[in-house]
Parts: sequence; C-alpha cells; structure tokens
Amino acid sequence: MGRYIVRRLIAAIPVLIGLSILLFAYIRILPGDPCVAILGQHRTPEACAALRENLGLDLPLWEQYIRYLTNTLSGDLGASVVNSQPFLAEFLTRFPGTVELTIGALVFALGAGIPLGRLAARKVGGRIDGLITGVSLFGVSIPVFVLGLALVAIFGVILEWLPTQGRIDARARFDATSGLLLIDTLFAGRLDLFVDVVRHLILPSIALGSIPLAIIARITRASVIEVVNEDYVRTARSKGLKEKTVDNRHVMRNAWLPVTTVVGLQAGGLLGGAVLTETVFVWNGVGRWVVDAIQNRDYPIVQSTILVFALIFLVVNLLVDIGYALLNPKIRYQ
Amino acid sequence: MKNLRIGAILGALLMVAAACSSTPVGKAGGTLIVALPGDIVRTDAALMDDSNTSYVIQQVVETLVGLEPGSTSKVIPVLSESYVMSADGLTYTFKLRSGIKFHDGTEFNADAVVFNYERFIGLPTELRDYAFYIGDIFGGYGSESNLESATKIDDLTVAIKLRKASSNFLLTQTLQVFAIQSPTALVLGKADNTETDVAKITAATGGAGAMVGTGPFKFVKWVVGDSVEIEKNAEYWDKAKVAYVDAIIFKAVAEEAQRVNGLATGEIDLAQTIAPATIAAIAANPDLQLIDRGSSFNTFQISMNHTYAPISNPKIREAIAYAIDYDFLIATFYAGAAVRATNWMPAGVAYAKDLNLPGYDVEKAKQLIAESGETDLTIDFWYPNDVSRPYMPDPKGLFEAITANLEAVGFTINPNSDGWREGYLDDENQGKYEMWLLGWTGDWAGPDNFLKTAFFGYKNGAPSKEFAYKNDALDKAMNDALAAGTEAEAKTLWETAQDLIRADMPTVPVANSKPQAAATIDLKGFIGSAALNEPLNLVWLDRP
Repeated sequence: MGRYIVRRLIAAIPVLIGLSILLFAYIRILPGDPCVAILGQHRTPEACAALRENLGLDLPLWEQYIRYLTNTLSGDLGASVVNSQPFLAEFLTRFPGTVELTIGALVFALGAGIPLGRLAARKVGGRIDGLITGVSLFGVSIPVFVLGLALVAIFGVILEWLPTQGRIDARARFDATSGLLLIDTLFAGRLDLFVDVVRHLILPSIALGSIPLAIIARITRASVIEVVNEDYVRTARSKGLKEKTVDNRHVMRNAWLPVTTVVGLQAGGLLGGAVLTETVFVWNGVGRWVVDAIQNRDYPIVQSTILVFALIFLVVNLLVDIGYALLNPKIRYQ
Repeated sequence: MKNLRIGAILGALLMVAAACSSTPVGKAGGTLIVALPGDIVRTDAALMDDSNTSYVIQQVVETLVGLEPGSTSKVIPVLSESYVMSADGLTYTFKLRSGIKFHDGTEFNADAVVFNYERFIGLPTELRDYAFYIGDIFGGYGSESNLESATKIDDLTVAIKLRKASSNFLLTQTLQVFAIQSPTALVLGKADNTETDVAKITAATGGAGAMVGTGPFKFVKWVVGDSVEIEKNAEYWDKAKVAYVDAIIFKAVAEEAQRVNGLATGEIDLAQTIAPATIAAIAANPDLQLIDRGSSFNTFQISMNHTYAPISNPKIREAIAYAIDYDFLIATFYAGAAVRATNWMPAGVAYAKDLNLPGYDVEKAKQLIAESGETDLTIDFWYPNDVSRPYMPDPKGLFEAITANLEAVGFTINPNSDGWREGYLDDENQGKYEMWLLGWTGDWAGPDNFLKTAFFGYKNGAPSKEFAYKNDALDKAMNDALAAGTEAEAKTLWETAQDLIRADMPTVPVANSKPQAAATIDLKGFIGSAALNEPLNLVWLDRP
C-alpha cells in the first residue's frame, strides 16, 4: 500500500510542473497590459516602469518562470493587485467557507443520491424508477446559478423558510475562530447560531449538490442493477439469506466501487461549482473570491487560486484512489 | 384671490418642508445591513479613489469641511468651527472645534491637521497612484503641489496656504480623501510617509491603525471581499448626531438580483444602488421603499475624438446631437430615473446653465449633414461590453438605440466593443476611438470637475489625446475661472467657458441619470445625496 501511494505521489510531479507552465503562460498571453490592470487609468509612465521592475516583467521569460516557480515553492503566492492583500492569508480565511459548503453539498448528494439510486434499481423499469431517472436528468441539466436563484426565490423570498445570503446571520456579529462556523458556533456554546449556520447551509448545499446527486443516483442505480444479477447474489439469496443482508453485504459492497470513484471526481468538481453557488448565495468562500478577482482582472489571485484548486483536485483524487485500493484489493497488486 | 390661494399653498408646503427637516427622533439600537455593489479597496482615507470605500469611510472619518446632508455643493464646517480666506485667496485659516477625540482616544487639534496635510503634500512616489484625487486636485506633490503648507497657529487654529488661488479649494476639501485621521494611528499603521509598499501599510490593509477618525462610527473589522463592520461611537462629539444603530455591516453584493432578494427577505436593510431595471419590482413591493436622491450628479455623453473625419466637422457633431431620440433613451434604459442633459454638467453643479442643446429633429440633422459637405459618413463607434455604470445602465442597449438613430439620418456605423478594463478605458483615453459611450460621475460639485477634469481640460498644455478638442480660449477661461479671486469673476468665466463649449459641440451630452437606492420600509431618517454623501448615523430602524 505504501509503495502504491509513493508511486501515485511521484506521478503527480510532472502534472504539477505542466500545470505551472500552463498557468505561467496563460497569464502572459492574456490581452492587456499588467500595468493597466494594476495601476488603472491614473497610472504614470514612471509608476509603470517601477512596477515592471518590481514584478520582474523586464526580465527574460525563462527567468520570470524560474522566479515564479521559486516564489511558489517558497509559499509566496503573490498578492492582490486590487487591495494588496496577500494570497495565502486570504485564501486560508476563505477556504473553510468553501469546505463547509462542499461538505454540505456532498452530504446532500450522498444522503439523497444513494437511497434514490437503490430505490430506482429495486423498482427498475417502474414508475418510481422513471421519476427518479427523470429528476436526476433534470438535476444534471439545470445550471447551478439558475437552480440557486430559483431556490432563493421559492424558499427565501416567497415561503420565507430559509436565509439566502451569507454563512451566518450578519446581525449576530459572530467572531469565528477556525472559520468552520459549524464547529466555531458549537465551541462557543451558541446552539442558536449553530442552527442558524445549518439553515444558511441548506439552500446553497442543495444548489451545489444537485449535479453530484443526479450523477450519484444514476451510477448507484446502474451498478446495483449490474451487481444484483451476478451469480454470487443469486447464490446468497438461494442460501436463504435475508434480503437486507444480501443487499448490504453482497450487493452494496460491490456496487460501492464505481460510486466511490464518482464521489471523488464530484468532490473535485464541487470546487468548480462553488464558484457559481457562492456568488449566488453571497457566500464568503474561495469561489466568490475568484469570481471577483476575474472581474477585477486580479491576475495573481486568479493564477494562485487555479494552482491551489488543481493541487486540491490532485489530493482528493489521490485519496479516492487510495480508498478505492482499500475497497478493491486487486488495485493494490497491479 | 388667486395670489392668496397660491400663498396658502406655499405656506403649507413650507410647513411640510420644515416638519421634514426638523431633527427626527428615532429608535436606537439594531444592526443596519447595507449592500454595496462591491467591496472596499483600502482602509486609509488618503489612499482611496473608489466609491465603495468612500461610502464606508465617510461614516468613520471626518474632514475640516463637509457637504450639508442631501446637498452636492453646500459646504458646511465639520471638524472646523469656521474658516476665513485671505484677501489674495491663497491662505485659508481654519478655527478647529475643541474637545474632539479620535477613536483611539488621542486629541484632535492643530497638530493632527498639520500632520495629515503634510502627509498629503509629501506622499511617497510609490503611493501616489493609490491617491489619485490628492495629486489631481493639487496638481501634484511636493513642490509641484498647489498645497504649499499647513501651519499651526495655535492649538485650535491652522493656516493652509496655496501656491495659487483656487476657487474649488473648499469644495474639494469635502472629499473623504482629505479626512483628518489620528496621527498616532497613522504612525502605528505605517501611513506616515515612511513606508512605500502599500501592502505593508496596515492602516490601509485593515490592520493596526486602520480608519481611526473622529466620526459617528468606529471601524471594527474588514472581512476582505465580503464585508466591513463599523460600530456606533457613543462618545461622538456632535451629541445631536450620535448614531441610532449599534452597528453597520456593509456587505459586498455584486449581483443585482441578490440585492433585491436580500431586501425582500430582510437580510439587507439598505441597497445603496439599484439598477433602473429593478425599480418597478421595488415599487410594487409594499415592504420596500425606493429612495430618490433628488438631483443628478453625472453626465452620460456620446464622446468624440476630433482627429477623425467626419467627427472633426462641427456640423456633423451638431447633426448627431439632433439625430438622437433622447426621450426614448431615458424612458427605455433609465426607467425614467434620468433627465435630458442640458449641459455637459448636471444642473446642480455651480454656475451650470441651460445651454439649449439640440433636441430630437431628424430633418434638421439631415439638413446639417448636407451643409457639412462630408460625403463619407462612416463612423467607428464603440461601447464597453462587460460593465454597466450609474450613468449608463445598459451600454449595449444604448449603443444599439443610438446607432439606429444615427443610421436613420444617413450615417454608416461600424460597431465595435471592448472590455472596460481590458482595453476600452485605455484606448479611448489614448485617442484610439472615433466615437464612444462614456460619462462621468462627479467627485465635487464644481464646474471644473466636469468641464476640466473629466472632459475638456488640456493635459500638459495641449488638448487631451482623448478628445483632441483644441480650444485655447476655453482652456484659458477655465484656468482663469479656477484662479478667480471673487465669486462674480468665477461665475462670469465659467459661463464663458460653457458658451465656448456649446458653440463647438465637442461631444453630445445625452442624460443625467439619478441612480436610486432601495430600503426596507422600516428604515427611517435616510438622507440621500446624489454625491453619495450619506451619513448613516441619522438612520434608524423602526422595528421591534
């Protein structure tokens, strides 16, 4: 198992180097002068010259790349050209927001997706199966921001059941410590605010979790249908085992494998989805931040966010592969 | 009899007006949630050139003189008790209020004023791009600045000396960039001209020494990209104006739909700006109120560069002015919240007069084109494709409507667009566009801010590349007007300047929009201002 993990880690290195080259090139081929982006309309030629020298833009490209790589490896991921705030510190204050939202979305997607998939598989070809398949097709098709705004309009504005903006009631003026508000409110002994945080999580989690839910439901349905007709399941049934035991021990255990892969991929994909969800729900996370950065042409923030997102995607996929290897011994010995 | 009736109506109106202007007695307490269209940029008043930061910072810091709430041009003393201008117009002596303390407990006095003004004069080169207005208003820094010195006369008297007289001086000193911040805090936050890297000036990045003023609210924290929190200053010096609400949270809500939704769900109390497209929805909701800010403080125009033909021909520019269906544009794109421009500056700006600009007259436009002698009527016309501005809520829609108007009288339009920051602003500024859509929101209500700063002032002694509009007499009139020693002289010169512009029709002013705010129905005491000088200490929430 250890060798497997090391092999996977080594395989990630060329991916990261390739990514850094792509990112470096991407920022340089974008239209527009960095001086305009940073100093804006009121810039003077002297200030531009000083800025170019300061950013090393007067150096040859290869030297600029080496500088970029050295800075990145030493943890210096740049600062915002709009408000001068350092990337890493800002990223770390926002990341818990995105993590909380991603977990909320995954809980929703798994909590609803797997039972729905199982139910559809059990009633395959029937009305319930048709309904679930139809709903999951809808879930995959609807853009996140459309669903988000619809949820806001229905559950926020019309029914007034749930809050639609932010992570916590702003009027509470709560001071977070870790940034994970579910934990912070509990530690502060504020059960009322914990409930408030959960209520704030519901709509964005549904919006963000809708696509993974649909995919998970469909994959679960497909893999259960596939497994349920296997010989060993028939054998288990013919031995007289209870349906529940057959389902849990024989069917689901094998059906889990493709579901795990999909969950891993979806977890990475959720980071992308968070960009839109956070904007719609005025959620203080990395996603909304990067949208603002794109709109403000805040290149260092965009560049470093993509790099860190890619790193997270790699790590999540690695964890999924390890999980997969744990579930399926065949993988470990390949 | 008729006169009597009119007199009675006027009397009644005056009584209503008096009732409205008397100090309201509001309910104390609560947290006010204000939605801004974007986040603030810095927490140092001097290093600021954007409206979101200015809107927040004005609640926390104060200037020597300010604008009367609701007005864009009436200057009133704030941290000063009174001021006197010397006969030569070069020295302004401010008598300061006594007994005022900064939020950090230190004294507000002449030393503090001198410290701040010396900071403005000597701002390090590296920081000057972040403090656009200081350099722009005083024409530079150090020996180039029109601000020569700030001298302490006694503990509560300061003399500010200019190199040459400037009739806009007091009006410009109402801008929050000239706020007096605690010297102790500025030193603590490295905002004392010793640090040149803005990222290390904690007073500007929300850390130590950030936003320490004398205002009715104190800075609490800035969650970058999300919100700013300020709280009531119970020790505020003007006891009649101690804030009603306990705290204000300014949230950056970029999506227009979410600003309106937030108002409807009660998650937002006040949306500082709403788009014309949502005015009808707000008006239809009995739980919400629309806030009209009264006058306009911006101008939207069809901008033109005179190096290109046929724009270089004055008859063609006049023809374009006659070709535009102004009423249609205002009804369609501003939901009526705009007025037809009668000048290059809005009506509320000092010395602005109705210049009798051309109205919509297709036949007249065609006649002028025929008289112009131009045969090639092709014009390259540009609009920004990724923004909306308060004076230009739907650039693409406006562009299409104006294009249709121009084609109807015989012009051939080559349509072009670019991203606002990707190239639009830069290219139009460098004179690369023949005709384009742009406008200006005022910083101060002086004619110089519109006619000179925004539009037709010469740059480095020559016509700007942007408009390439050459009129030496106009440039001289505007410079003389700024240096005028008396009000009457300034008035005459600014009127001359306006007549000169009207005669040339260098661009075509279209509309002065009135960006609206919206609030929940229980928000009271709000005094809107077209210049966005809106003191929120006067606001209270009428709810249990």
